[in-house]
Amino acid sequence: MTARKSGSRLETEIERCRSEGQWDKIPELVRQLSAKLISNDDLGELLLGEAKLQQYLKENPIKQGSSPRGIRPKLVEVRKHLTAALDRGNLKPDYMQEASMLMAKLCYVEGDYQEAVSQYSRVGLDDLPLVGSPVYRLSMIAEAYATKGLCLEKVPMASPSLSNRNVDREQEIITCYEKSGDIALLYLQEVEKALSAGMQNRSPKPGPVAQEQELGYFLETGLQRAHVIHFKNGNLTRGVGRFREILRAVETRTTQNLRMTIARQLAEILLRGMCEQSYWNPLEDPPHHSPLNDPLRQSSYTKDYSLSRRPRVYSGENLFCPQENTEEALLLLLISESMANRDAVLSRIPEHNNDRIISLQSASVVYDLLTIALGRRGQYEMLSECLERAMKFAFEEFHLWYQFALSLMAAGKSARAVKVLKECIRLKPDDPTIPLLAVKLCIGTLHWLEEGERFAKMVVDMGEKASEFRAKGYLAIGLVYSLRATDASLRGMQEEYQKKALGAFQRAQSLSPTDHLAAFYLALQLAVSRQIPEALGYVRQALQLQGDDVHSLHLLALLLSAQKHYHDALNIIEMALSEYPENFILLFTKVKLETLCRGPEEALLTCKHMLQIWKSCYNLTNPSDSGRGSSLLDRAIADRRQLNTMTLPDFSDPETGSVHATSMAASRVEQALSEVASSLQSSAPKQGPLHPWMTLAQIWLHAAEVYIGMGKPTEATACTQEAANLFPMSHNVLFMKGQVAELRGNMDEAKRWYEEALSISPTHVKTMQRLGLILYQLQRYSLAEKILRDAVQVNSTAHDVWNSLGEVLQAQGNDDAATECFLTALELEASSPILPFTIIPRAL
Amino acid sequence: MLAMDQGVVEEWLAEFKTLPESAVSGYAASLKEKVCLVPALYKVIRENYSDLLEPVCHQLFEFYRSGEPLLQHFTLQFLPELLWSYLSVTSGHAPHCSGCIEALLLGIYNLEIVDRDGQSKVLAFTVPSLSKPSVYHEPSTIGSLALTEGALANHGLSRVVYSGPHLQRETFTAQNRFQVLTFLLVCYNAALSYMSSPSLQSLCQLSSRVCTCGYPRQHLRRYKGISTRMTVSSDFLVQLITGIHYALCNGEADLGSKALEDVLYRAQLELFPEPLLVGNAIKSSLHGAALKSNKEGTRCIQVEITPTSSRISRNAVTSLSIRGHRWKRHESLENSIDGPDSGAPGPIPEISVTGVSGERMANGEAQRIRTEGQALGPEAVPDSRAEVRRQKSVRRLMEDGGAPTGRVHN
Repeated sequence: MTARKSGSRLETEIERCRSEGQWDKIPELVRQLSAKLISNDDLGELLLGEAKLQQYLKENPIKQGSSPRGIRPKLVEVRKHLTAALDRGNLKPDYMQEASMLMAKLCYVEGDYQEAVSQYSRVGLDDLPLVGSPVYRLSMIAEAYATKGLCLEKVPMASPSLSNRNVDREQEIITCYEKSGDIALLYLQEVEKALSAGMQNRSPKPGPVAQEQELGYFLETGLQRAHVIHFKNGNLTRGVGRFREILRAVETRTTQNLRMTIARQLAEILLRGMCEQSYWNPLEDPPHHSPLNDPLRQSSYTKDYSLSRRPRVYSGENLFCPQENTEEALLLLLISESMANRDAVLSRIPEHNNDRIISLQSASVVYDLLTIALGRRGQYEMLSECLERAMKFAFEEFHLWYQFALSLMAAGKSARAVKVLKECIRLKPDDPTIPLLAVKLCIGTLHWLEEGERFAKMVVDMGEKASEFRAKGYLAIGLVYSLRATDASLRGMQEEYQKKALGAFQRAQSLSPTDHLAAFYLALQLAVSRQIPEALGYVRQALQLQGDDVHSLHLLALLLSAQKHYHDALNIIEMALSEYPENFILLFTKVKLETLCRGPEEALLTCKHMLQIWKSCYNLTNPSDSGRGSSLLDRAIADRRQLNTMTLPDFSDPETGSVHATSMAASRVEQALSEVASSLQSSAPKQGPLHPWMTLAQIWLHAAEVYIGMGKPTEATACTQEAANLFPMSHNVLFMKGQVAELRGNMDEAKRWYEEALSISPTHVKTMQRLGLILYQLQRYSLAEKILRDAVQVNSTAHDVWNSLGEVLQAQGNDDAATECFLTALELEASSPILPFTIIPRAL
Repeated sequence: MLAMDQGVVEEWLAEFKTLPESAVSGYAASLKEKVCLVPALYKVIRENYSDLLEPVCHQLFEFYRSGEPLLQHFTLQFLPELLWSYLSVTSGHAPHCSGCIEALLLGIYNLEIVDRDGQSKVLAFTVPSLSKPSVYHEPSTIGSLALTEGALANHGLSRVVYSGPHLQRETFTAQNRFQVLTFLLVCYNAALSYMSSPSLQSLCQLSSRVCTCGYPRQHLRRYKGISTRMTVSSDFLVQLITGIHYALCNGEADLGSKALEDVLYRAQLELFPEPLLVGNAIKSSLHGAALKSNKEGTRCIQVEITPTSSRISRNAVTSLSIRGHRWKRHESLENSIDGPDSGAPGPIPEISVTGVSGERMANGEAQRIRTEGQALGPEAVPDSRAEVRRQKSVRRLMEDGGAPTGRVHN
């Protein structure tokens, strides 16, 4: 304080050099000082002693964990200066204190801990004022506390038998370090303030600015040793508390790296050592009894000191304070990530190899922890955005690429995921999982069958190397062929793909006889090619392996219906429904079977039941909770009004099957909608990529169909209208309107509806068949024949189309061809299921 | 089962029944002292034909329903063992004797999905954002944040539901089974710090068995009990991994790492991206961790003093050091604005954000221009001139926007 009052320029300069640690300038300044003021020789001794000690420590830094080295010749001079300053006793009291602190530090460096401790007690560290002290003295006091702590750890207890005193000693040590850390943070904040103020004041003078301050051994120890001891003692609550105190202090340039490390460490503790129930937030006091602390070493230590001045902490209104361990971990990791990202070493020259590895490692840890935190909470959309930022580190780094690909996949960004997986395959060509993941995406919503085939072949080509994944490889390629067969528009192609699919499934099944999926898809493929008895054999096998598999049960029911055992089929469906009461695809089949077996009234009851289920499943979730997880585009689509402009893709449709190439446009809409769906419902049961609104529309259409079967056009119209309100442009809705018009005998209107349906979905076989029949009734035979022939090309197993085609040909007098058509229709009808087999989803 | 164990369990059953309401919390605290009780209860659950199973399950449910945290934790510690018992019975096609375990599991589930007022409970959390000040940071010091769509959308803090609301369940079905079990694991994971080592060990064992039964890897684990494959769901595996992660870092390093390997093995076979993602991250973070979990079986986490100076040399080119760099502009800037593919100059330039939407937008654009052309005929020309003007101003904007950072640096 007195030094400040004198205000001479020289003294200010000295003060500045001391606080900025520019020790090499001190001797020159001392020379100037002694030239001016004769009486201040002692101060000169003090300054020289300090400068030489600091210079020595700069040149011979003490490493963490190493012991001081004893007396060194270079330090003799330091002792001489300090002794001179202290002995004459002419210094002002605060300079005397400084000299004593320096002497104690010297004693520590020389290994005389006992002497150092007694020096400190002579100074009375706790009485030194923090308010109004020059900046350099804050650092001195911080170092003094740290050094005292270090000494106390080294000095043996007078009587080690008393455990109570041991605890006291431990408390004293920790308090020293905590005080040291607090004052160090305060010092660093003050230095930075002074520096920035200084830069503004003497702007033209190009002083040695921006020189990054290094903390040095003592301050580093002071800042970190306290929490290290807490964790060593198993006192997690205090350790966490200390971490938070350090992090809450306003950041300075010098503390950035420390903050980054501590933030990451705290995040690790929050994710690995805590749970929701044992959490307390940063502004609360820690719980008295916490399971986090080692019960055997329950130390009574709590923070029990106060300082006259504390480091500034982040403050202000509406400050976000985490309320949960994952929240806090996320916040800390986002902060660490922004720092790690900033330090990403971009240059690839060999000299920077090491730097690059360091920056990569520190970033990878942060990204791994972010993955753990966000994965736990199911926030894959946000995770994929974070991992995308990791890509600047990712050149030739498999782990980062793979994690990015998986996050895209989990976030439903399939197209990008496939492209990133390709890079992963390049980096690790021997791993069969990666191409299999890619196939899974390709045959899913993307419907990239050619690409899927390439990936599946990679796995098959690995041969024995793929070990357990070999069977999966055959399964994958089988599914690709099976889907391509459904898409193919030429019968020859269809049959070829079906044969290939069958071969692949057989291979998969023989490689992995205990995999129910292999047996199931083999059965499904046999069923599609109408080999009903063989299919029944394999579906039974699949059910033996996995008794409650919903698709196997569904297939069994459809197979029974193909054999016209409708009652048995209905029994199976009801059994399956007892295990899957909310499965709409099963319920749709049930409606069809009930209409046949028990009459339309029962079927209508089932429709009503479906509406109730729909309501309980989807109304439960409040859409306002959707939160993140969807992009702006998706959110715009989520708006229900927007749905009016979209078509309703069908899934219970004979011709288009689960996904058909020509309904790609529709399935893209479906994809977009299913993304919304998955973001809306974190909990709702997932039943394939069906948007709830689509399901609702399908329920209404099924009800309409039942009413049409009962000959009730008014009710059927009402149901169709409900579906039309949701999806006015759906070809299914338009088709149903056509059916109602037909029922009313209004052929022209029906024709118009059918034509509209076909303009939206040109390969909708049911519509083609009805339109063909109407044209036949209008005696426009050649056009009818053309349409029906097209329909047969699209789906060669639709027996009613063959039948209609036969009638048209007969009317044209082409009896031979007509007979052939009728025979085909008859033959197909004998093995035709109540709903096409392809309504069962095919996915990996 | 030994007579002694039976005695301990019977005594425990009798004691709680006679307990007055006021003595419950004292009783809860005293449970810890009954050293033989917990092992005996594990035995009852494992040998699930025992006569004691039903009263034990009933009492465990009473404990849970009491709302006393200590008693709830007492019940929860058996959850992994109960889950295994339930799953091994369901997969064996023999629905015997698990009725009371099912009832206990459903009972806990139905209690946990509602709050005190009986309303459906929703588990939610706030996603922190660096653009809002917090107790740990000040947005201005973070530097420029990437202005992505996601960053814009989450400019404020958003609250996200991660579980719930859930439906009440009277029975288990194949459809709701894993939904219920996953939620029970969420509850277990929320109390992980209170779980004893035997419970964590049981969780690891459950994970290993569920994931490997019926697969070739089962032989590696030398487990012979059940050899049929068990269905799993992706979410269920993620929750298992969360628990395993805790076990791994809190004294169960061996069992934990085996369990993690087994879950990853299964996730690969099932092609589930979510558990693969989290599991890989845990595996990799344990290698490069700053914290070392103690191997001696104690539950403590250690840290060391780390150097605070930057370990990256100053002359290396980093993201920070080139932040203000002024890149040489491409000649064809104007073209690149016109082009439909200018959207994503990211690491994989040929892909737009979703692939699908990009195409759709491009198509829509093309269509719009075509219809305008058709409708307006020659009058469309001034319109296109306006288009050019608009692009020029966009370009000017970009130049201006880019300048400030550059200027500060020069």
